Amino acid sequence: MQIFFILGIPLLLSLAALLIKKQKLFGIINASGYLAILFASIVLLKQVVLSGSANAYLSFIYLDTLSAFFIFVIATVSFATALYSIGYIRKDTREGVISERKARIYYCLFNLFCFSMFFVPSVNNLGMLWVAIEMTTLISAFLVGFYNNKKSVEAAWKYIIICSVGIIFALLGTILFSYAFSLASGGMKSLNWPDMVALAGKMDKNILKIAFIFILVGYGTKAGLAPMHTWLPDAHSQAVGPISALLSGVLLKTAIYAILRFGIIVTHGAGVQYFNNLMILFGIISLAISCVFILVQKDLKRLLAYSSIEHIGIISIGFGLGTPLAAMGALLHIFNHAVTKSLMFFSAANIVSVYKKHNMNAIRGVIKALPFTGIMMLLGMFALTGFPPFSIFISEILIIISAFTGGSYLIAAALLLFLAVIFGAFIYHFGKMLFGNLPKGMTVTRESLSGKLAFLFLFVQICALGVILLFTKKDLLCIAQNLFPR
Amino acid sequence: MQAIILFGILAATYLMVIAKRGPALIRAFRYQSFCLFALTFIIALREHQIDLYIISGLLFALKVCLIPYLLYRIISRIKANEGLGLFVNAQLSLLWALVFTYLAWIFTTRLIAPGNTAQASMLAIAFFVVLAGIFLMIFRMTALAQVVGLLVMENGLFLLASTVSGGMPFFVEIAIFFDVFISVIIMGFFVYRINKFFTHIDVNKLSRLKG
Repeated sequence: MQIFFILGIPLLLSLAALLIKKQKLFGIINASGYLAILFASIVLLKQVVLSGSANAYLSFIYLDTLSAFFIFVIATVSFATALYSIGYIRKDTREGVISERKARIYYCLFNLFCFSMFFVPSVNNLGMLWVAIEMTTLISAFLVGFYNNKKSVEAAWKYIIICSVGIIFALLGTILFSYAFSLASGGMKSLNWPDMVALAGKMDKNILKIAFIFILVGYGTKAGLAPMHTWLPDAHSQAVGPISALLSGVLLKTAIYAILRFGIIVTHGAGVQYFNNLMILFGIISLAISCVFILVQKDLKRLLAYSSIEHIGIISIGFGLGTPLAAMGALLHIFNHAVTKSLMFFSAANIVSVYKKHNMNAIRGVIKALPFTGIMMLLGMFALTGFPPFSIFISEILIIISAFTGGSYLIAAALLLFLAVIFGAFIYHFGKMLFGNLPKGMTVTRESLSGKLAFLFLFVQICALGVILLFTKKDLLCIAQNLFPR
Repeated sequence: MQAIILFGILAATYLMVIAKRGPALIRAFRYQSFCLFALTFIIALREHQIDLYIISGLLFALKVCLIPYLLYRIISRIKANEGLGLFVNAQLSLLWALVFTYLAWIFTTRLIAPGNTAQASMLAIAFFVVLAGIFLMIFRMTALAQVVGLLVMENGLFLLASTVSGGMPFFVEIAIFFDVFISVIIMGFFVYRINKFFTHIDVNKLSRLKG
């Protein structure tokens, strides 16, 4: 029942955004709406995990532990973003960057975007899954090109074209999956997930293998897996500040969700090894490419975007290793990366709106100019690069442990090497930027309360949840164990 | 009858590959969509399924009428040069298209291995149309050609879906149609924007964001 609540609120809010004229009031309504969604998603997750079974409504909505988990991740990040948006959009309107009318459009698009993302993990039909993911692209393209200047229009165009082509390949893969299904079932026409997975063992291996390559290339484009990642740094660096967090934190994860859904069918039908090898291959390529670009990066938001590619690579390796422990690490990493990267993008947005530039070489003394943001960014940087006691450390160590125990020494070594290099690069870039003297003519800036609350909310998740989850790992291990056949 | 329509799709695709100007490209796209409509309609007549009638009706309304109309409007409104900006000239493009046709045939017969030759040729044409769409997107420089390339790929997929599994489930098919329609509108919107800011729609020159 909660799912109708979760899907309904964003739709109502998107209408309300156009009607309510008082911006601050609406911002608060918006954030409280997302708080309600967050609670609903926690209830949903608990219900599904405890009952251990899947819920299906009218054969259109289908919820199991995997989808409930993704809904929870989306709810967390979208709540933080709604909270952060209040202060950010108000500042933009006050400074005359955007008009009052445009601020209303922002809130409307924001809600539609969140709705489309909640829609992805809740649909039953794999064809509708494709439609939902294409919908996320189309809506967020407006949010990427929101500032309406040369750079943002260029980024939006690249985003919409590259992702649409990618997603067409995913549709091709989906059609081949339905072909395999109709061969196995003797002419039935269905793309519903339970039907597909029930017949997965009987499907033609060759068709499944070809189809999965198309799926991986298609949804991998949307997920930002490396050679198809080229839209990602442009879109993330040009999008409205809070939206960058949504793009990186959860939009990429919805594509990972789609890959997993098809991946599970492939592991049942064409063997685990094939799925694992492909995921590890793309993961390693993503890590290698992002590592090089992080080293030489000059633009703050692009640096964070490349770091998203790195983390998607780690997640993909985690699922590729195939053991329950690694899959659990990858699931945890999805959550941890979502909250940590949102925090980083929020602080980057604060810095950019005060310094009016993206170039890291020209930004100095952030801790002095923006004390709260500066310190949060410093802590967030350590969290992002996998420093204990933060939660990313735990998920990364789980993946590395399972790589070693599974005998994949080469993969573990490569992972560690890239992580070490990226850690060094982050320290180098951020050390210069955060410390140092206040630039001339700049005063200490007051930060908005809603922004601070969003930071604190995320920071609690980064510190506490990483530790708590370690002790209640039974549920997650359960999900992970049921995910792939052995 | 089916064979003639399939040949029509093939011919329309070749026309698109050698088109040098926007209106010619859109006209060929219209021919291709019309052939697809005819194909679906014939199947609908044969099988008497209400779903197929609705789908063919939508195909006619959206892809034969509305989308080409919108594309023509974009061309006339932006008043930009009508040329498509060919990276590869028409003759060489045709040669590439022939190679793609052969590759699609090899791919279907060796890898998918369908039951009979009629289905095999339909599959091969579907894959060829998808490949031609990719070719248009990569080797034509204007934003408009990229939009058409995307639509061509989608047409190829429609043909593929109706060949291999008798089409997707009904409401998925409808959802995909509207999705494609909305994406054309949104892309058109961005083509206007690009034209406004850059005074051209040459995507090859969009190179501010790097690294």
